[in-house]
Amino acid sequence: MKPNLSVRVGSLVLANPVGLASGTFGYGSEYESLVDVDSIGALYTKAVTIEARPGNRPPRIVETPSGMLNSIGLANPGIDAFLADKLPELRRRRCAVIVNVAGSTEEEYLEVVRRIEEAAGARSRSDTGVDGYEINVSCPNVCHGGLAFGTDPVQIERLTRSLRGITERALIVKLTPNVADIGPIAAAAEAGGADAVSCINTLVGMVIDVDACRPSLAMGTGGLSGPAVRPVGVACCYKASRAVKIPIIGLGGISCAQDALQYLLAGAKAVQVGTGTFVDPSCASTVLAGIEAWMEKRGVQRVEDIGGLLS
Amino acid sequence: MKQFQAEIIDNRAIAQSWRELILSWDELAWAPEPGQFLTLRVSPYSDPLLRRPFAFSDFASTINEAPRASIIYQIRGNGTRLLSELSVGSKINAIGPLGKGFPLPKADEESVLAGGGIGLGPLLYLARTLAVAGRRCILVLGVRSASLLPLIKLPAGAVVCTDDGSSGFRGTPVDWISRNVSGKAHIYGCGPAPMLAGLSRLAGEKGWQASLSAEQWMACGVGACMGCALPKSDGAGYLRACADGPVFDSAEIDWEAAK
Repeated sequence: MKPNLSVRVGSLVLANPVGLASGTFGYGSEYESLVDVDSIGALYTKAVTIEARPGNRPPRIVETPSGMLNSIGLANPGIDAFLADKLPELRRRRCAVIVNVAGSTEEEYLEVVRRIEEAAGARSRSDTGVDGYEINVSCPNVCHGGLAFGTDPVQIERLTRSLRGITERALIVKLTPNVADIGPIAAAAEAGGADAVSCINTLVGMVIDVDACRPSLAMGTGGLSGPAVRPVGVACCYKASRAVKIPIIGLGGISCAQDALQYLLAGAKAVQVGTGTFVDPSCASTVLAGIEAWMEKRGVQRVEDIGGLLS
Repeated sequence: MKQFQAEIIDNRAIAQSWRELILSWDELAWAPEPGQFLTLRVSPYSDPLLRRPFAFSDFASTINEAPRASIIYQIRGNGTRLLSELSVGSKINAIGPLGKGFPLPKADEESVLAGGGIGLGPLLYLARTLAVAGRRCILVLGVRSASLLPLIKLPAGAVVCTDDGSSGFRGTPVDWISRNVSGKAHIYGCGPAPMLAGLSRLAGEKGWQASLSAEQWMACGVGACMGCALPKSDGAGYLRACADGPVFDSAEIDWEAAK
């Protein structure tokens, strides 16, 4: 019997547990000719903010041992251009589309979601182009908002509750690993009414060019991603899943099915592939096929049961 | 844009730390534009992690034969060192063709191709493409010293510039062009950022068109990650080297800030 790969996130049912992480897949069209996007469980868009943001000064990227640092700075065309240019493309998607939302103030997050709610229309329709939101309270590369929200449980709960009040779509809060204990942060999102939390966003990191005696990134620090961060992400999912009842979506350094299975065993109900797509655009498809094969081999019926197998 | 396994047909030294890699693959017989690039996964492991971008330095395809593409590269770090160690007959994962290439010159423009160091690569392919189209061009190659000159056949009439004067013209390609090119030129450039800034300045002064290929660290190579940003000349944000370029009209980019 084929295993059941579907995963429930609030009122949303994902066809399978594998997603494409925000910031690594644009708005879906960039990889069109290389990836069968619709076979993936969910597409998490590049972050959307109220105003267009040009992003940070380059260099924005530097490679690190088994990873990379980025300091993109939430470069995006803003909500108006998103609604005009990106939403029509997203309506054609057959996979779930989760819009990643960022802002400098609580009102900015609310305004982005409000504008999308107005444009996308009733959630019950199948062609709205938006199945949920991932609230980015964990970007390490912007001066205001981002990480400042993400490390304070009081602000997280308040922001989540405000957002819960204006949308019935799936509401996922993306958490940072740059905290002493992720448990209370996840619990705050749950208390505010989140349907799920995703973790982890990138870890703050720095590389210094010793010939030039200056940081390799123009902004000094950036966010570390890739296989190097995977043990941190797995531990965060493990802790978060024991602090809340809502589903955890795990990400950080997943490049093969074995990596994804570590997250699922740690308590995540779904996963996202991010930097792994840069290395191999078919990574998410390979991960999905590998999870299914692992379940078949072991006779695991439902992907949502994998977490219970951890001894 | 396709992802495919390419076979390494040759991988040989052509200068101090410079090598030429020749790849072939089945079925896909698209021809890249000069200036376009592909990304290669130099290691199946996680370190070094990211794919490496390389411009085509040659491409040939006939109906009966598998396509053959060349890239020339310089061993600069772990990625290119691993690439240099790959043996003939082995396979490598490639994605291409990527980015926007060089536009053709207008009928009344003289094509001047300025390559700085390993930036020569895409200009070799451009020179060959122009020759096939029946267009003349001058290729100007700049290296630091004669000992760094590659052991490859340069197009007829090519000019060699060395910083130390040990071969050819003493000075940079920008110096040579400013003294020797008059009339209506179209500058094609690829090389270090200071050379591109110099070419952009010179073209501006002379009223020439200049198409310059930029280099920047890339993560995705397909336009998704916004990592390979270059500052726009009007100060209004950034363009992506991978998808908006790598070839830009020189007026689009603030080459001084990109240095």
